[in-house]
Amino acid sequence: MAVYVPNPYLPEIGTVTEVIPETPNIKTIRVLLRDPERMKNFNFRPGQVAQLSVFGVGEATFVINSPPTCKDYLQFSVMKVGEVTNRIHQLVPGDIIGVRGPLGNGFPYEMMEGKDILFIAGGIGMAPLRTLLLFMLENKNNYGEISLIYGARTPQDMCYRYEIPVWQKRGVNVVLTVDTEAPGWTHRVGFVPTVLSEEAPSPKDRIAIVCGPPIMIKFVLFGLRELGFEDWQIYTTLEKRMKCGIGICGRCNMGEKFVCLDGPVFSMEELQSMVPEL
Amino acid sequence: MWSEITKKLQETVQNIMPQVEAVIGWERGFNEIRIKPVVIKKEGDISKLVWNPFCVQNLSGYLVKSPAVIPREGRRVAICVKGCDSRSVTALIQEGFLKRDQIFIIGIPCSGTVDWRKVMKRLERSSVIHRAEIKDGRLMVEHAEGVEEIPLREILLRRCLRCVYPNPTVSDVVIGETVSPHIEKEDLYKDVEAFERKSLDERRKFWAETLSRCIRCYACRNACPLCICQDWCIAERRDPKWVTQKPTLKDILLFHGIHALHLAGRCTECGECERVCPMEIPVMFIKEKLNETTLRLFSYEAGIDSNLVPPLLTFNPHETGI
Amino acid sequence: MVARRKEKKSQNRIFIPLEGLNQTLENLSKHFTVWVPMPSGENEWSLEFKPLHRGCKILLDRQSTLPPKKVILPQGQTLIEYEYKKSESDPSKQDLVLREVIDESPIIVFGTRPCDVRGFLVCDKVFLQGRYIDVYYRARRLNTLFATLFCREADDACFCSSVGSGPADMEGSDIGITPIDGGWILEGLTDRASEIFSLCDCEAPDEKQIEDARRVQEEVRSMRVGNLRTDGVLEGVKGQFQNMELWRDIAESCLSCGVCTYVCPTCYCFTITDEPQGLRGERLRSWDSCMFYQYTQEASGHNPRPTKLERYRNRLGHKFSYFPLRYSGMIACCGCGRCIRSCPVSIDIRQGVERVREAHHGCVCS
Repeated sequence: MAVYVPNPYLPEIGTVTEVIPETPNIKTIRVLLRDPERMKNFNFRPGQVAQLSVFGVGEATFVINSPPTCKDYLQFSVMKVGEVTNRIHQLVPGDIIGVRGPLGNGFPYEMMEGKDILFIAGGIGMAPLRTLLLFMLENKNNYGEISLIYGARTPQDMCYRYEIPVWQKRGVNVVLTVDTEAPGWTHRVGFVPTVLSEEAPSPKDRIAIVCGPPIMIKFVLFGLRELGFEDWQIYTTLEKRMKCGIGICGRCNMGEKFVCLDGPVFSMEELQSMVPEL
Repeated sequence: MWSEITKKLQETVQNIMPQVEAVIGWERGFNEIRIKPVVIKKEGDISKLVWNPFCVQNLSGYLVKSPAVIPREGRRVAICVKGCDSRSVTALIQEGFLKRDQIFIIGIPCSGTVDWRKVMKRLERSSVIHRAEIKDGRLMVEHAEGVEEIPLREILLRRCLRCVYPNPTVSDVVIGETVSPHIEKEDLYKDVEAFERKSLDERRKFWAETLSRCIRCYACRNACPLCICQDWCIAERRDPKWVTQKPTLKDILLFHGIHALHLAGRCTECGECERVCPMEIPVMFIKEKLNETTLRLFSYEAGIDSNLVPPLLTFNPHETGI
Repeated sequence: MVARRKEKKSQNRIFIPLEGLNQTLENLSKHFTVWVPMPSGENEWSLEFKPLHRGCKILLDRQSTLPPKKVILPQGQTLIEYEYKKSESDPSKQDLVLREVIDESPIIVFGTRPCDVRGFLVCDKVFLQGRYIDVYYRARRLNTLFATLFCREADDACFCSSVGSGPADMEGSDIGITPIDGGWILEGLTDRASEIFSLCDCEAPDEKQIEDARRVQEEVRSMRVGNLRTDGVLEGVKGQFQNMELWRDIAESCLSCGVCTYVCPTCYCFTITDEPQGLRGERLRSWDSCMFYQYTQEASGHNPRPTKLERYRNRLGHKFSYFPLRYSGMIACCGCGRCIRSCPVSIDIRQGVERVREAHHGCVCS
């Protein structure tokens, strides 16, 4: 009985160090854990998530979108949709925030080594992909060509706009698109699935990683299959209402799988074997 | 007697089946004293339908609560109603949730329905029930430990013992003989009046004791045909946050208060809230008080006249006596 | 005196006479919180487990309406207390103090039935045997003993023998209670029992009482409660997942209330909410129900289980398919029948299982 068991519900206390407004309803926050030891040892895989808490309001799940090698802060991008996210949007540098994580599985980047990588993102769906993208750029020799198709409703709804030139400089082949024409916009216009079929990347030795709103994912999948991508070549990361984040409280299940514990990253092949309850 | 009415019910349904989308009625449950709702969609299932004093459920909620049984254009849904249930149907029509011409009402006069827990209390232990028959005002139960005969009056639900509308107030067809009410109308709120004569401490003690049993399963809310916003109920919503998740008497009281107040002037006293409570809390009692007030202030009873607007859904600047 | 006490310590069986039950348990309550089934009100049929108090009415003759689930998983449980304070080093800043509230006080639950304890064996898989260990559950679970009745009170909603248990299943119990004429024989099943017996101040049973108890146990062991067949359901739920006609057939009359889940010994799902009071407050874990619309409602407005049909499918699926798939075949239903008995519209989960089976086997055959 004297065995020490860590309390998986107890958050680490962190401090908000920076708040970056991304779009009218998305903010990126950077958090430093108060305990330097914990900050140093906060190891995670790209794609893993954490529960952010504002005590008095509650917790919500966000993907950690800073690269794992970054020990200066943990970064999260938060879209204002509910009670907790509203409160997070009010935070300013110096404010306290709880962090519980890392949780979930993360991307299986090992099996992606040696392959070309195609990121396809829509709106806030860029957040989970950012970590993996940066991770792959840090380990560029292990991967082939890295390309990104990123779409948003309007140019103002595009996250990390300030970083995209840096990614391009580091060798990412970037295609940007917005839903409708906008003044000053020099990139593509059209929905992500359309741009995908225009770009028509070859499925040969390529892994596609998709994240965005459900409707986009649905049509992107259709497009990828048209192009000859097989289910094992396609990865996505799911969202569900979560509470505990550790596979106990029950609500995020799809059949026998828990999105919080067994996911949030799934290959299309895995998803095909799961009950369709998205 | 019950088998005769059941037979007539099945014949009626047989006749109207071609014109209706579905028939909402009752069928036998896991034993003879437990009946459950059934939605009949094909002729072959009509024989499932039953009527007897174990048909406790008010089925009108199925007409409005998602995924509701809704008829296609030009068709109707048939529903079986007791006297109390018919008032719910009228109330739903009054509030615009239901159209009269979309439903076919099969009215069944009812002399009271049975509280299965009261039966179990009489048997004094849990037991396999082999057979149950009601004849001449007595229930005969054959169970694993023997046979018990109980006067029907002793095992009726509380709502039935104070019922003044045992005959459907609205219907397209009536099956069975008209029955007379258990009590006179002027005695309807006798229990409320008696309770109000108690001291504040006694009343507080009563509610503290009974409500502390509440497990917040929200069966009372979800069984209520008129609690149409159950999925977005303030009791579970966090934004705005009125009720906490703490299982304290304060929060429980707040929920039941909100529940009752949202039914003020709307509740038809079908008693489903109270019947479905797994913890046997007399939650309808709260609504009875509100109805007594509504009757006194507005001379209004919910679910009687589909042309009337419930008093709290209207605004009359000349209202007096408030 | 010393010798007598020694002898008592080594006892593995004691006899509690009918009239001595309250006194015996009151003796125990000096050292433990003793939970017993008692009527939930003066005139009510329903029983629930509550902490023993002097002169309370203990009822061991029927199953409780609410299972003893709340002993280990209270309806509302504070996980963490928090308080915002002025930072000592920099008064212009805020500091946050967190305090875990872990309850390790010793508990005996007296008068459980095999189905009740089976419920905890199911929950153990989730709370103790997964990748993360739930420290709150663990603290209570490790400090709780169960004294379980050999159950002779099955009714027509019971089906414990169909789901891997049975009325004489003592797995997970520390003490077996056998009702005999004039009282109860308590028998130690784990090492922890002798400690309890030494505190009870009861006599050892005589030969005849032991023989009576043996006969009762034999009778209970020979009973098969329920005849539900569950073969094919494991695969059937997935196979029939999109057969909404089937789920409509099973759950059309469901009210979407939480009765079935709250009276269920194996339904453990919960929510976590913050309940503030000014600058301090608590992070609370409370019962939640997969029957509620809000349970899976996402902030974006999307709900993966928008109607009662998807929600009921999840409840049945979880118990008879998803859980056994995840946890080495164990069915997450203890067959206590509470959901059937307490359901306001008498939905019978056995019938649902049977329908899924039929649909599944029908599919395989054709």
